[in-house]
Amino acid sequence: MATQEGGGSRAVSLLGRFGGLVPAALYFGLFFFVPFGLIVCFSFWQDFDYKVVHHWTLDNYRYFFSVPDYVGTMWATLWVALAATAITLGLAFPFAYWLSRYVPRGLQKLLLVLVVVPFWTSYLLRVYSWLNILGDKGVINSSLTWLGVIDQPLSLLYHRWTVVVVLVYLYFPFGALTLYSSIDRFDWDQLHAAMDLGASPIRAIRKILIPQIRPGIAAAVIFVFIPILGEYLAPQIVGGTDGVMMGNLIDEFQKEALYARAASISLLIAAFIVLLLVLFRKSLSAREAYGA
Amino acid sequence: MSEREPRFTRRDLLKGGAAGAAGLYFAGAGGALAARLSPAAALEAEAVTLTWLTWFDHYFRQQLQVTKKQTGIGARTKLAPSDSQIYTTIRQTGSQFDIAAADALWVPKMHKDGLTDSFDLSSIPASKQLYPQARHIAIWKDGSNSMAFPNGWSTIQTYYNPKYVKTKPDSYDALLDPKYKKKIVYEDSPENFVGFAGLATGAKVPYDQTLAELKRSKAWLQKLKPNILKIVQQNFETVNALKDESAWIGLGNLGVELRVKDAGGPLIKVAYPKEGLLGWFDGEQMVHASKHKDVFAEFINSVEGQTAFAAKNFIKNGRPMFNEKAYKLLVNQGYKHRADLFNYNNPDLIFKAHLQGPSRNPQATTQTFTEVFGG
Repeated sequence: MATQEGGGSRAVSLLGRFGGLVPAALYFGLFFFVPFGLIVCFSFWQDFDYKVVHHWTLDNYRYFFSVPDYVGTMWATLWVALAATAITLGLAFPFAYWLSRYVPRGLQKLLLVLVVVPFWTSYLLRVYSWLNILGDKGVINSSLTWLGVIDQPLSLLYHRWTVVVVLVYLYFPFGALTLYSSIDRFDWDQLHAAMDLGASPIRAIRKILIPQIRPGIAAAVIFVFIPILGEYLAPQIVGGTDGVMMGNLIDEFQKEALYARAASISLLIAAFIVLLLVLFRKSLSAREAYGA
Repeated sequence: MSEREPRFTRRDLLKGGAAGAAGLYFAGAGGALAARLSPAAALEAEAVTLTWLTWFDHYFRQQLQVTKKQTGIGARTKLAPSDSQIYTTIRQTGSQFDIAAADALWVPKMHKDGLTDSFDLSSIPASKQLYPQARHIAIWKDGSNSMAFPNGWSTIQTYYNPKYVKTKPDSYDALLDPKYKKKIVYEDSPENFVGFAGLATGAKVPYDQTLAELKRSKAWLQKLKPNILKIVQQNFETVNALKDESAWIGLGNLGVELRVKDAGGPLIKVAYPKEGLLGWFDGEQMVHASKHKDVFAEFINSVEGQTAFAAKNFIKNGRPMFNEKAYKLLVNQGYKHRADLFNYNNPDLIFKAHLQGPSRNPQATTQTFTEVFGG
């Protein structure tokens, strides 16, 4: 009886410790890890006559790396993701700094709402609206023509950099909100103390603020960089044939039922993401950031 | 008390959960009981809902609501991006779908591979509304049965803005002219791109090229690529690009020139390349593994028999339907000029085109496209 009671209390204790994990583990096990495992398998199988044949092979990867244009697209995707992330954070950091340090609390909330206002409209609408901004007869070209600055419309759409511009617009809220939540917890007295001791404002930010908000910066990079790696709609709509990214290749293969080819490219993106997480693993540790 | 402190104890939550579960159980049991007692509710409970894998331009929501009212048969639609994906989806999902759309030569492939069943077209009263040519499509015949109920069709031709394109592009090779750099748009369809290339380079069957023919097509597409402004997702983007003159040439279904004019765009002319035209016609098929095959004919009859919606479909989506009665309705509604401009009343045209269909080298066909436009 005593043993049974002991066993029962151990079970209750285990349930208490791990009970919270079970629903999430079941959900993600079923809807993330199982599909992910299938994608891994697909990437080592073969497409044949609109079927995926369960014949293990490295052919999908070999094929990908044998086509120089695909490899070029892979590097271009990385370049676009890096550039868009850097610009997004470059814009988001001063904004979050200003918001947190100089704006009264009441107004901060209003400005934060404005940051997320774009989310009230659909993603597609936000991307399509850029056609009306950058198009031959869009706002910029029409304004410049009206002002007499140009005779012929500037070619602003369907370039790689156009994709970067639109991605920065799309992901700015993710960067700004993540950085703001990190900067907002910072003790500004430390910055004042550093400057009282002779540090210039830039040096104080670099030596005092940035190390302490490093987990927030790492989180912002992850929230912006990772989704951009898999982007395909924005490049499709504003990038034209010059703005193709790996997501577009996946989309194309998937639409034409070449699932094994699509799976292998998906895994290459996943590999980049894992690499990024490994690189940032230290920065994500709050203890590391605070030097404890 | 801090806001973060829980408002409910664990006991409260468990009690609430148990009460909720009991409520759901009794609500379900009550519903079932009500269904048993009330014939109307029982009919509702037994009503069939078909799952339909199709394209967005094959139905209107209101059309399906009318069918639901008329027959009690509902429909859940899932949009399909391509024939190849319809084919693989139906093969993988078994009885999950009841009806599947497909184009021209994909229909016999799906039937041959045991994915669909043929049926007696003449037993569906709505088939009397079809043009005779559509009632007797040879490649869709399975004995006296038909493999699909015909819906719409179009050839794919070249549209150009004469303000910028001074020589009529009556050959696919005309599209390679460097003066059209970044001035051509077409939809994201690898098989059609490769098909155009096949016609340009003399492939015997543009949708089913040999590996040697695909190699020639790839070389042709590489020459075309600098001239492609954008590969669009929807036909309306071709119309928009021609309208705002960011593109001078577009390839598309019938009637693009009129849609550009409707949108307030410039004069657009049409050219028919001498190498021939690609084309498609599509229809609805009965899925072999469907558990509701008994209501397929009734459902199709109701949906396809709504002539007014067929006419509206033509006006909205801008390509001919096979519904002859809808043509007469369009004439009565004052749309004769528009319908004739789209060759609505001339369905023979489509049977002269190179018809969309599966390739014996599907992987190589798609790769011919992605190796050019994927980088």
